[in-house]
Order: sequence, then structure tokens, then C-alpha cells
Amino acid sequence: MRVKHLFGLLLVIALSALTLAACKPAGKEGTQAKPAAQAKGPLKIAYSDWPGWVAWEIGIQKGFFKEAGVDAQFQWFEYAPSMDAFVAGKVDAVAMSNGDTLVNGAKGKKGTMILINDYSNGNDMIIARPGIKSIKDLKGKKVALEVGLLEHLMLNHALKQNGMKPEDVTLINTPTHQTAQTLASGDVDAIAAWQPNSGQALKAVNGAKAIYTSANAPGLIYDALVVDPQSLSDRKEDWQKVVKVWYRIIDYMKNPANEKEVLQIMSARVNVPAAEYATYMKGTRFLSLAEAQEAFKQSASLTSLYGSSKNADDFNIANKVYDKPQNPADYIDASLVANLK
Amino acid sequence: MARARYFIIWKELDPTRRRVFQICSFIIPLLVWSVVSYCPAVWHPMVRVTEPGSIAHFRVDALIEKRAFFRENAKAVEEHRQPASGVPTNPVYLPAPHEVAVSFYKAFVTPPRLPDEPWLHQSLGHSIKIILWGFLISSLLAVPLGIVGGTYRLFSYLTDPFIEFFRYLPAPAFAALAVAVLGIYDGPKVAIIVIGTFFQQVLMISNTTQRLDPALLEAAQTLGARGFKLFTRVVIPGILPDVYRDMRILLGWAWTYLIVAEVVGNSTGITWFINQQAKYRIYDNVYAAIIMIGIIGLTTDLFLAWIGSQLFTWKSGKKSILSRLRTVYSSPRPKPELSQEAP
Repeated sequence: MRVKHLFGLLLVIALSALTLAACKPAGKEGTQAKPAAQAKGPLKIAYSDWPGWVAWEIGIQKGFFKEAGVDAQFQWFEYAPSMDAFVAGKVDAVAMSNGDTLVNGAKGKKGTMILINDYSNGNDMIIARPGIKSIKDLKGKKVALEVGLLEHLMLNHALKQNGMKPEDVTLINTPTHQTAQTLASGDVDAIAAWQPNSGQALKAVNGAKAIYTSANAPGLIYDALVVDPQSLSDRKEDWQKVVKVWYRIIDYMKNPANEKEVLQIMSARVNVPAAEYATYMKGTRFLSLAEAQEAFKQSASLTSLYGSSKNADDFNIANKVYDKPQNPADYIDASLVANLK
Repeated sequence: MARARYFIIWKELDPTRRRVFQICSFIIPLLVWSVVSYCPAVWHPMVRVTEPGSIAHFRVDALIEKRAFFRENAKAVEEHRQPASGVPTNPVYLPAPHEVAVSFYKAFVTPPRLPDEPWLHQSLGHSIKIILWGFLISSLLAVPLGIVGGTYRLFSYLTDPFIEFFRYLPAPAFAALAVAVLGIYDGPKVAIIVIGTFFQQVLMISNTTQRLDPALLEAAQTLGARGFKLFTRVVIPGILPDVYRDMRILLGWAWTYLIVAEVVGNSTGITWFINQQAKYRIYDNVYAAIIMIGIIGLTTDLFLAWIGSQLFTWKSGKKSILSRLRTVYSSPRPKPELSQEAP
């Protein structure tokens, strides 16, 4: 009899401990776990260390958001976890490339691109060992990159431009942050990566050369602010203000008098020396309002976000990243940028 | 004679020698590191360019492989061009001890470059907080479960098979899931540490419990102890010192999950610092941060070991500070608690 009671007691203790433990961390963030769209709290925006997104830091540090009357809470992430958080609905917006926006959308989490920060203009590179001087030289060679990601798209584009087929090279699937070591190991002939990894690869292998960069294909990869459609519909005015702040940031950046301060703020955000950061800025093409409005117009060319996203969609289908073609128009809301003058 | 003193199995050394060897355990790796760093003859596979000469792709301060450097220089000399000069050096991933020491110091005294950024000590504090929450939650569940499972077969059959299965699932695999359930802040980070620690903890504690000396139980039973009393008066005090030792090991286990845990959700803590510096190949800062974690871990462990020796005086055989204080400050009493417990 007594033994039975004891078991019961222990069970109760174990269960209550379980419940307590389960509640503890969740309870702490309980207020934030509400559907963000209904709450009038801050807009939660996840961003990571690509220069086009690090530029948001200028608006944060200079108090532009406060002046615009919008409460935007920026959260610093690694790129992949930032997408996880967006997919899980824990942030209202995320800084993402247009290609990845389609990938996440096809996998069930739609997002709307309301703003183009930049397009990559040289930061994404195909880097070859000494002796390989052009894309044509890559025939029959090994290239290390992260299969299915942007650099893969860029390589295919480069091959096509040179009249070659994807089968002309052998791909070695390698995480982007390990490409520098991979090239240095001598086991591959070329790698494809974006900054800072691409710059580190150039440093790691003496005589290595960027034989193709995103500057050869402007508009192939756009970087955007992607908003949860629900949040966009609930708080369109607030998002309009965020877009407006972005162009205040752009104006601030384009003023030569602020060059040093801009570099200081951005390099501080990623904690590297300002002189080193300057090289990454060169490979990032920040779009002015007029250029962005142009890119938000329907067109099949890469100079349009629609055309670029269609190109990414074709690539994703061809590489079985997902099976059903996505319509880029479902992922784009040009109105917020169009509203600005 | 002297040799015999050192090479007797399980023979304890005298305290001075013990201290000397313990210090050497740190000095030797440091010495090896210093030799590799400061003696170019031993292993300096790279050349740091001080003067590029006529070689087009050499830059001042670039690190060039030694062979490539000499090959280019030989070519330059052959073609009557100016050769480059440089000093032998180690690859960028192996900074010298003094460089790491400087980074270590600088990391603490350099204010954050942005106003809302944490200082390094605040980042470390955040990491410690994550570890402690994770370890606390894991322990609150695992210790009772482990002890009960190790004592009563019913519980061990009820829990062990599932735990055995679950402990093979890598904690990082739950990253995206943890974010979906617990949000982007500290919740999922704590959860990863709990998942990483809990299952090992239950098994380890249960195992420790089963290794309780059966003679203790027999003796207690001979003296008339039965049922639940056996559990509370014999099993628990019998295993507590070993459980405590397990906990010290498991705390180290929890730390190993920190680097995974802190990139789940938003980037925080010491991991943010390490990742960021590694991405930009500022390796002396990476080493400094790794050493910081080591120092925190070792200090905590030494502190816990000391507490343990104070708590479990029946095991360590030492007199605890508390009891020593008691003998100093209170008048001697005939016999403490023990006499009341005897039936």
C-alpha cells in the first residue's frame, strides 16, 4: 500500500518538474511568443552580416527609426538561423536574398520582398588556383561550393555565358565558410563563395585569382527585406516608414562627408577593422530609390527583381531544390517603394 | 631509489612534488607552443613578405608558402629582377602565445564599438547564464530520475530504453525546432543545452547509483532499516558524493553545447565573438576566447571540488570549514545529530 503511494508521489513530482522546466524558458519570452502581427509591439527584423544588411545599423545608430516614429527592433543572427526564425514566425521580417525567399516560400513560409537593399557587385566570386585564368579553363576541373545555393546559381550562369554546360565541371559540395581552406588544401581547382569567405580565400592561396564575380552578372543576386505577409497587411504604415528610413540611410551613405563614419559604424557591427571592411563595400551595389523603383518593374532581364527571381526559380527547379515553380510576383510588393519620391 | 618513488602504481606523491607536476601540466604545452612559435628552425612553413621586390602578386605582409616564395625569388634572380624579401612565420591559424595574451587583455579593456553592444565580460556573463539555466533544468529532472531509476528496477525499465534511444539524437538537430517552439532569445539556447546534457546525465547518475556498495545496504538491513528509510538514509547519502562528482563532469558536458546553442536564435554571448572573429580570420582573438572558456570552466570546477570536499566530509575524510568553525566558536557539545538518529 505504502509503496503505491510512493510511486504516485514520485510521478507527481516528476511531472510537475517537467511542466516547470518546460514553462521556464518559454514563460520568459511568453509575451513575445504571441502572434506578432496582432501585437502593437516593435517590428522584429532579423539581419546578418552581409554589407547590404549591415547598413541598417546606420539607421539604428543615428536614431532614424525613432525620428520616423517606427519601433523597429533589429536582431542580429547568423544567416541560416535568421531564416529559421522567420520560418518559425518568431520575427516579422528577415534580410534575405531573392533566391532564398523563393526557397523558403516553396517550403511553406511565404515572405514578401518590399525593399531591395543592394545587389552583389563583386562580393560573390569564383576563385581559381594559379594557372586557371578563365571560366573556360575550368572544363573538366573540380569546383567546391555549397550546392543549391547562390554561388551554384552564379557558376551555372558563368558557364552558360561561356557556352559551357553545368556538366563541364565537377562540383564538390562544401560549406561556404570552409571554402578558403578547401582551396588552400589543393584538392580542388576552384571555389565559389561570398565575402568575407571569398576575400579570405584570395588571401589564403598565393596567386589565386577571381576569374568571375557577381560584377559580371549584375542583378543575378538581389538582397531584400522580406516581410511576413500577415504583418505587412496588419501594419503596412509601419513598414512604409521602415522603407522610408532605408532611403534616408542610402542618402546618408551616399554623402561623401559621412564616408568615414558609415564605415566605422558598419565595421563595428561585425567587429572587424574598418580598412578591411572597405573592400567588402566595393563589392556591394547599394540601389538608389530610382534604381530600386526600376528594379521593381516587371521585366524578364536580371535588372528586374522579377526577372532575377524567375532566373533563380528556374535554377531551383533544375536542381531540385523544390519541385513546383514559384511565381515571383507572389513574393514581391513594389508598392511601398513606389510610394516614395 | 628516486625512480621507485615515482613509479609505484597508485602511490600518492608528496604534496610539493604533486604541485610541481600539476604546474608542469600547463607549462609543457605552453613550452611546445612557444618553441613552435618562436624558433623559426622548428616549423615556420610560411614567409611574411616585408618587401615585394619585383614580384607582381606579392604584397607587404602577405603570407606566402615557403616553397612558392623561394621559387618566385629564384625566377626573379634568373630574370635579373629584384627578388622579394621576407621573414619566416607560422600560418595565420597559429598565432604566438604573446599575441594571444595581448588579444586576451585587449578583448576585456576595449569598449564595444557600438553603444548598444555588450562588453566582452557581459557576453561571457550571458553565456554563463545560459549554461547555468540549462544545467539547472537538466539536473532538476535528471538527478531524481537517475537516482530513482538506479535504485528501483521499475523506473529503470520505464525510462532507460527511451533515454538510450534519445541520447543518440544530436542536440543541434533540434535547433530549428527549438526556435519554432521557444522563440529566438534564450529559450532555445537553454533547450539545446538541456537536450545535450539531460540524457547522459540520467544514465550516468543511474549508473552511479547502481554502483553503491551492497555491503552498506546489507549492514543497514541487519540493523533493522527497511523500505523507504533504506532509500533516504543509506542510498542517498551513499551515492551523493559520487553524484556530485558526476555533476562536475556533466557541467563540462553542458559547456560543450554552448557553441551550438548560442547560434540558435539570435547571436549572443561568447559564441558570437568567436564566430565573428573566425569568419574574418582574426585567430588570436579566437584563441583568446577559447582560453577564456577554459579558464572559466577550470575555475568553476576547482571551486566545486572545494565545495564538495566541504559538503561530503564522510567521503573526503576532511573536516569541513563549517565543523572547524563550530569547534572554534561554540562550546563543545556531548554528541551532535548522529546520536539522535540512532534508534
